[in-house]
Amino acid sequence: MEPPQREPGAAAAGDAEAGPAAKLDVLTLLRLREQMKQQLMECSATVHASEESYPDHIIEEKLIKTTTEDLEREMEEVKVSFQNKTLVLQRIQLMDALRNKVKQNDDDSRLILETMKHIIMLSTAILESQQQAREMEEKLNDIKKKRLLLKQAGGNKLLQIHTTMKKQKKELASMEVGEMLEKIRNNLQKEKEMTTLIQNIFQL
Amino acid sequence: MAVVRPFDKLPALNSAAVLLVGSDESLQQKLAEAILKEKKNFKISIHLATSLPLPSERDHLRPRIDLIAFMIDIKSKYSLKNVEASLAHVDASFFLGKVCFLVTGVGRVNYCSVEMNAIWKLGEVYCSPVLYCELELEGIRVATAQRLLRMLQICAGHIPGVSALSFGLLMRNSADE
Repeated sequence: MEPPQREPGAAAAGDAEAGPAAKLDVLTLLRLREQMKQQLMECSATVHASEESYPDHIIEEKLIKTTTEDLEREMEEVKVSFQNKTLVLQRIQLMDALRNKVKQNDDDSRLILETMKHIIMLSTAILESQQQAREMEEKLNDIKKKRLLLKQAGGNKLLQIHTTMKKQKKELASMEVGEMLEKIRNNLQKEKEMTTLIQNIFQL
Repeated sequence: MAVVRPFDKLPALNSAAVLLVGSDESLQQKLAEAILKEKKNFKISIHLATSLPLPSERDHLRPRIDLIAFMIDIKSKYSLKNVEASLAHVDASFFLGKVCFLVTGVGRVNYCSVEMNAIWKLGEVYCSPVLYCELELEGIRVATAQRLLRMLQICAGHIPGVSALSFGLLMRNSADE
């Protein structure tokens, strides 16, 4: 159940307007105009939103998705480029301030120059030691490679030895068998000759 | 008409209407008085209701409702149920920034019988801002009235360049962060 509406606000506003009628000046009218514009925009936006058509519902959804993804990507890119540009700008500003300061040639600038020289010296030292470290590492790598090669060669040689020894053993075994066969053959031959000889003698 | 719709009536010139829905009538009266006491340069009409739907006999007399404020008393579960039942009678396009939830009685933490989680979920589901206030205290009542007045100005379209939807999004993003 709704209790009766309260509109004392309306009455108060009515009194304010009845008094000075000059209150209806340009400012109020402009304000009212702005209000009406805004309300019109809201209403037309609602009308626009409600008159959607669904020709290809799914395809539109996909289109919307792809466009939103593209836009998001573009936004990220723009953000990143903006940050980069701010960084570059700050760097340029810093350099310019340093340059101006050094030109002034007072205590601070001398300190700055000394620090810069120190920095340069340290950087060259760093470069040298890095180069030396790199050379050392290369030497180490070479030695390691050689060691690896030697190990492989050693392994190969051992393998060769192994295979040759196996071959020899096989030959020995086959040779022994061959020798025995030879002996048997010789014996047989001798027996054959002896028997033929004996047969010849007894045929006499 | 069973359902309250936001844009079915033309707006009146330089005026706005707010609808307060809640089960505690005395608190509604106090808040309404506080709102009316504020300095403003447009006509305001405050409608009080305990629940929706509004009776349809006086429908042609009512102006266009610009803002609905649902008042939930943290001390009574009945007010939450009442508000949830009334939410069904509000058109969906109202929730694009023209609805707000007002949680009263937050000063007395001992008498909480409605869970904060439920209220927060309500705000999330209906995409509307949740304002916490304690209407028994004079200062907070005045501050809440001022806040509601500003929101009403935006929802009624009096502020050029700020629409109810953008304001609702603004409140949501700042609450999330």
